[in-house]
Amino acid sequence: MAQASNPAVSFDTREEVDFVVVGSGAAGGIMAKELAAAGHSVVVLEQGPHLQAVDFKHDEWGYQHNNDLVWSTRHGNRQTFRRNENEEATLQESVLGYAHNVGGSSVHFSGNFWRFRPIDFMEASVRGTIAGTNFADWPISYEDLEPYYTKVDWEIGVSGLQGPWDPPRSRDYPCPPMPIKGSDVLLERAAKQMGLTSYPAPVAILSQPHNGRPACIHCGFCNGYGCEVNAKSSSMVTMIPLALATGTCELRTMATVSQINTGESGRVTEVVYFDENGTEQAQRTRAAVLCANGAETPRLLLMSANSMFPDGLANASGFVGQNLMFNGYSSVVGLFDEPVNAWKSVPTTRVVHDFYELDESLGFYGGGGIDGRHPTAGTPLGFALSAPDMFGSPSWGAEFKENLAFQFSHCAAFDGHSTSLPLATNNVTLDPNYQDDFGRPAIRCTYSDHPDDLATMEWFLNKTVELMEVAGANSINGFYPETGQTGNVHLLGTCRMGDDPMTSVINSDHRAHDVPNLFMCDGSSLVTGGRGQPTMTIMALAFRAADRINQLAQRNEI
Amino acid sequence: MQKELLSRRAFFNSLKDATGKSVILLSMPALLHACRESRQARLAGEDFQTITEEEAIEFDAITARIIPTTETAGAREAGVVFFMDAVLGDSREEQHAILKDGLRELQSAAVQEFDVAYFHLLDARQQDQLIESISDTSFFFTLRYLTIAGMFSLPEYGGNRDFVGYDVIGYQNRGAWTQPYSFYDADFTERGE
Repeated sequence: MAQASNPAVSFDTREEVDFVVVGSGAAGGIMAKELAAAGHSVVVLEQGPHLQAVDFKHDEWGYQHNNDLVWSTRHGNRQTFRRNENEEATLQESVLGYAHNVGGSSVHFSGNFWRFRPIDFMEASVRGTIAGTNFADWPISYEDLEPYYTKVDWEIGVSGLQGPWDPPRSRDYPCPPMPIKGSDVLLERAAKQMGLTSYPAPVAILSQPHNGRPACIHCGFCNGYGCEVNAKSSSMVTMIPLALATGTCELRTMATVSQINTGESGRVTEVVYFDENGTEQAQRTRAAVLCANGAETPRLLLMSANSMFPDGLANASGFVGQNLMFNGYSSVVGLFDEPVNAWKSVPTTRVVHDFYELDESLGFYGGGGIDGRHPTAGTPLGFALSAPDMFGSPSWGAEFKENLAFQFSHCAAFDGHSTSLPLATNNVTLDPNYQDDFGRPAIRCTYSDHPDDLATMEWFLNKTVELMEVAGANSINGFYPETGQTGNVHLLGTCRMGDDPMTSVINSDHRAHDVPNLFMCDGSSLVTGGRGQPTMTIMALAFRAADRINQLAQRNEI
Repeated sequence: MQKELLSRRAFFNSLKDATGKSVILLSMPALLHACRESRQARLAGEDFQTITEEEAIEFDAITARIIPTTETAGAREAGVVFFMDAVLGDSREEQHAILKDGLRELQSAAVQEFDVAYFHLLDARQQDQLIESISDTSFFFTLRYLTIAGMFSLPEYGGNRDFVGYDVIGYQNRGAWTQPYSFYDADFTERGE
């Protein structure tokens, strides 16, 4: 495993730096680069190693079954799950999934990169609030965020083509769309027959060289894997090198943060962490920015409770950890007469966004998008495990084997990606019974999908079945988590942004309402969850938040 | 082949005058020797780190029915049992325990049904009949999972030798692809869609 060296700068833990950034993922990498580029001294604390492209392999067993990137209970990252607060949470192998490495989940994510639309930021006003939920408008608009979406496009590197339903953009994509795959030919043709519009899916993967990085070679191992040629636009390859090149940013890997300490004034004074040897350290700082993701950021705030903040840091509202949103999903699979070979190239190359907002007359709230894929992200092992269930075929023996040989290359999936409502009862809390290897309380996830979210998933399932039938598939089968999701990799809303300190954790500058030199920026900041694919919005928020923080620092207002 | 079979019942019957556990334990090498004599005991003498030689021989036989050798390679050619030996030693004690318990029950069933002590000594029809009878057990689920994993994981984990598993499903572990990926995108391009 390659370990990056950071010879440019090294700060003493007793030396007060300008910022400690916790986490180096989608938001943390951008935050580190932007703050350091503005001349601030920055220490980035990352709990995982600094892997490089050379470390990544087509290793399905290692990444998907051994959890080598995301860690899990077997790697000491224990998590528990329960449906509601009346249940005893039980230890699970994995509940809330995120990568433990420099670049975080931007390293192993699929690269699907939808922007949110104007409606996402003001849906409660337009659609109306929904009883029993915390459905609310954002304190910022699409127009506020658009310049930062465009900044992500060009600084990170995004491939795509403006579609008919896309929100307005101030600049074209830097890279053209990915070449269409067989699975998306089938989707596009079916969509046309049904009067729908399929158009190139935006992806944070380079279709042509950009910013000194090479184009994708279409190996097919994006979703769950690190890119072996640096064509995927992760924080690891786009932002962290620039942050380190400033000479004012130090990256400390294998640094597991356990607490944010505050002084008598209620301001952050230091960030406590275990170093790679397991020794407790504390980095003094003038300010902290938590970019640890929608599970780890609230956990850290809750772990940082003290006499001044008895319910957790920045938690006067009681909203820290609440309103956890996953995004809904559904999938329909089918077999075709000719080879589809959807296991080649990027996960998806077409998207159907005609149903971003479902008609209110359906009687439930929801909306989403549809794309074409390989049923198991193109990986042989996962496919062989699930093919019998998908296609109703034998699960062992000669016929099982014979079927696999046909099914693997002749299948396609049409997936739905949809809304999740924010609920106080869906949350991240500290488990009272389990700890991780550092003795930190395990993350306890409490989650039950709202009935409208389940209805939306079912609606998308039915629509994709229709598309699959029109596409001419055989052996059509579909599913959605009808008894409710028990985990996800989209970790959203747990430290939501808002103007009202009683119903939100951070303001529109990403500053904690209760702690003036503490900022949070990651999936936890989202007020609503969009329709899936949240990483683009997390990155845009990070550029915007860094801009705001730099302005505050310049005015000496932190 | 049948002549070489040594059923567990016959084996224990031969010890009916013996008393004490130690006698049985001391007799196990003799039993294994008999296994080695059989045509299917081709794994004898391999250096297994986690599973026993008996488990290796039996798991090899079961996994070879889950993904059998046909015109193309099966679990046996892929070396699935070596994959199992490697990964069961990597903090998978719980799965190994399931397999140990399940194997004992399967062997008991072999004795009950066919008066044969070991699964690998049954013929293919008998083996399939027994597997069918346990196909909804955690033992079978675990074994099937590891069989498929051993068939389709990178060879560095011990299975999928020479990528024979990938060959079975027409998957090519290449680093790069260019269009056309398939019939459909080639057709799409040809039609100028």
